[in-house]
Amino acid sequence: MISALLAAAVLSQAPAYYSPAEAEALFNASNDAYAREDYAKAKEGFEKLVQHGFGGGDVLYNLGTTCLAMGDLGGAVLALERARRAGGRQEDIEANLALARARQLDRVVGGQNEEPFLERVALATSEPAASVAFLLLWSLAFLTLAAFRFIPGRRRAAAIAVCALAFLGSAPAAGVMWAHVWVRNELREGVVQAQSLPARELPRDGGKVAFEVHAGLKVRLLEESGRFVRIRLPNGLEGWTERDGVARL
Amino acid sequence: MRRTGSWTGLAALALAAAVAAPRPARAAERPEIRQSADRREVGTEDTFRLTITITNPPDGAQLRLPATDDFETLSKQQSTEMSYQMIGPGPGAIRRVQKWTLVMRANKTGALSIPPSELTAPGTGTIRTEAVPITVKKGHVADPGEGRAGAGGPMRLFDPFQQFPFPQDVDPDDDQPQNVPIPRSDSDLFLRATLDRDSVFVGEQATLNLYIFSRVDLSSVDTLTMPKLEGFWSEDVDSPSQLSAEQRIVGGVPYHAYLLKRRALFPVKPGVVKIGAAEADVTTGFLFAGRRVHRKGNELSLKVKPLPAAGKPAGFSTGNIGVWRLAVEPGTAQVELGQPVTVKLTVEGRGNLRSLAVPPLQVPQGLRAFDPTVTDKALSSRGRLGGRRTLEYLVMPQQTGTFVLPPVELPFFDPENERYDVSRTEPVTVTVSGATAKVAAAPGAVPGEGLGKNVLAETQALRPLRYRAAFATASAPVWERAFFVPAMLAPVALWLGVLGFGFMRAQARREDPAARQRRRAKASRARLAAAVQLQDSEEPAAFFGEVEKAVSGFLEARLGFGVGGLTREELDQKMEQAGVPANRRGQVLALMDECDLGRFAPGAGDAEAREAALRDAMELMEDWPA
Repeated sequence: MISALLAAAVLSQAPAYYSPAEAEALFNASNDAYAREDYAKAKEGFEKLVQHGFGGGDVLYNLGTTCLAMGDLGGAVLALERARRAGGRQEDIEANLALARARQLDRVVGGQNEEPFLERVALATSEPAASVAFLLLWSLAFLTLAAFRFIPGRRRAAAIAVCALAFLGSAPAAGVMWAHVWVRNELREGVVQAQSLPARELPRDGGKVAFEVHAGLKVRLLEESGRFVRIRLPNGLEGWTERDGVARL
Repeated sequence: MRRTGSWTGLAALALAAAVAAPRPARAAERPEIRQSADRREVGTEDTFRLTITITNPPDGAQLRLPATDDFETLSKQQSTEMSYQMIGPGPGAIRRVQKWTLVMRANKTGALSIPPSELTAPGTGTIRTEAVPITVKKGHVADPGEGRAGAGGPMRLFDPFQQFPFPQDVDPDDDQPQNVPIPRSDSDLFLRATLDRDSVFVGEQATLNLYIFSRVDLSSVDTLTMPKLEGFWSEDVDSPSQLSAEQRIVGGVPYHAYLLKRRALFPVKPGVVKIGAAEADVTTGFLFAGRRVHRKGNELSLKVKPLPAAGKPAGFSTGNIGVWRLAVEPGTAQVELGQPVTVKLTVEGRGNLRSLAVPPLQVPQGLRAFDPTVTDKALSSRGRLGGRRTLEYLVMPQQTGTFVLPPVELPFFDPENERYDVSRTEPVTVTVSGATAKVAAAPGAVPGEGLGKNVLAETQALRPLRYRAAFATASAPVWERAFFVPAMLAPVALWLGVLGFGFMRAQARREDPAARQRRRAKASRARLAAAVQLQDSEEPAAFFGEVEKAVSGFLEARLGFGVGGLTREELDQKMEQAGVPANRRGQVLALMDECDLGRFAPGAGDAEAREAALRDAMELMEDWPA
């Protein structure tokens, strides 16, 4: 464990593409470009920051907002959703995301209006906090159990109470952590980037077009076949689209 | 009442009048015969008509048609006319004319002659016609009288719209074979392919018609093999599933013509393109009298002219051949920001719709046009292909303001007029109104100002950027890091280790009786060591009590039974049963008595007695066999 921690610490000290000062300068320059309505330059700056490891909720939010101002719905929804995942629900992210969705061409009929329960849990909680809390409580519970036989009889009641509380506390922490694990590993979602993307019944070019999706629509990614990916809309409609037309969240 | 007449009397009067009237006589008793041809000069591929006219043939007359190997007779027809002539006073004359029409074709070239026909009748002998000279040339010789027959043509109604895209002045019969040569063999049933024109431009349609001509009963066409149409983009125009006969006169010979296939050909490169012969297996006759025959058609060639280089407009695509018209809907549109406008481009006309390339709709900045939805509707009329292509563009306004979509121009080559042309639409005006009720107006915003800017930002519907950033590297979640699983398992392993250690200890304590005895003996020795601490104390009872406990524990460990509560006799008996020798039993009992004495007898537990008891106890334990 110690060696793993050391390795993580060493990796985190690897030299970055930008120094913190350079990243800050680029961030500010991009903000200035946005203020001048030079959206292309602003977008380029924010994208560079994300590509070189200086992302985070703030940069992603600015990138999404810039894309939205440019009319790039696909890029806007993608960046804002990523900002949401990176920083949780925040008012400005939700507002711009709602604005982007209002401008989408696709109006999914018959679908659920909000995310699945586990996704909402994951969005409302912090993954590192849940994981660390689980790890601490779990360790405390088992350490107490291990020390139980060495504890004199008068203190054993307190040890039992500590152990029970630690186990009880680790259960919801484990649940929240599992929600994050499920969202990350099982809930594969993407945002349509192409202006118009036909969804076919079969994963081939000549396949019959079942429906069409447009930029900015958030879809579930189910499976891949060649250069096609099977998507599912919130209302259950499924079809195969070109993978290049959808960016994974 | 008296009757003045009867039906019988009236009939008698009529008969008398008829008998009294002069009877018509045969105008000319002597028969006449003559023959003539409708052409004096023909080709070997042409047919001509030989007409033999017999006037007043006597009863029983025999006609002998001209017999020669220089000509073949393709068909013959016979008709008779009777006329009544009134010439001057007196009875009229009945005239009977018998006419034979032979469709003939020369078998060789040169100055030939059709031999005379002969009419033999009893009483008049044999009379002959004159021979008819015919000059025969190789191939086809134009018939000078052919043009006169069709001069003028049918009268047509005036059509101000010309029935676009397919004009009505195309006679459907134009597509049907007119000058079909009759083959020298299998002339009763033959396959013939024709093209509706001899030369076309690249991309212009030529129509291939495949007919089967028959003078016999046709049952079915079993297989049809079309030629390879290399050098063409082709498409079926008509492919009848059932045979349908039309009456045709080919070279004066009546045939049943069955259309097998009609195909539109669009040549893709200039030059002379050859088209191979089609083949078919045909069943003639009915039921058991049916006969299957194989027929091979004729080859064709088509001259394909290149498109003229002069006058080619900019943006011309080589697939745009035909006559096309471009239109756009709507002419104007008013929408709110965020609402799409559907702009429909329609191209309609004659030509190859599949190869048509329509230029895209250009939109000014501030509007965004999505890829169009294209709908093709192919049409055909009288063998000519055409159709309508509709492109529906979804135009999404990005800003408020008034925008003009420039005209769309479609350059094409009109092969009918042999010139380039351009069809263009009218410009479309789209007016995009400002923010809707969904977007709150910015405080202090002046209506109408700032057209062409980002309206969303102006109305503050779009939240501003963040001006402080906490840069974060996209890192793996905690549970995916290398330490997580070991850290989660470590306390479990520790707990299990503790459990295992306790279990092992418990197992270790569960030893055999000998070991237990050794352990107890060891404990007894330890207790004896504790007694040593009391050797010099003021309480001899405590010392001797410890010594006695040590000895008792030692005995229990060695003998395997409890010694507490036993009398001396019982203890001696049990030790005897356990096989303890008599001297050792005596040693034990003496030590026990010594301890009792020290504990309970006043003044008995002096230092010497303590020393002796301690020594005896140690000797007992050390000398006891293991």
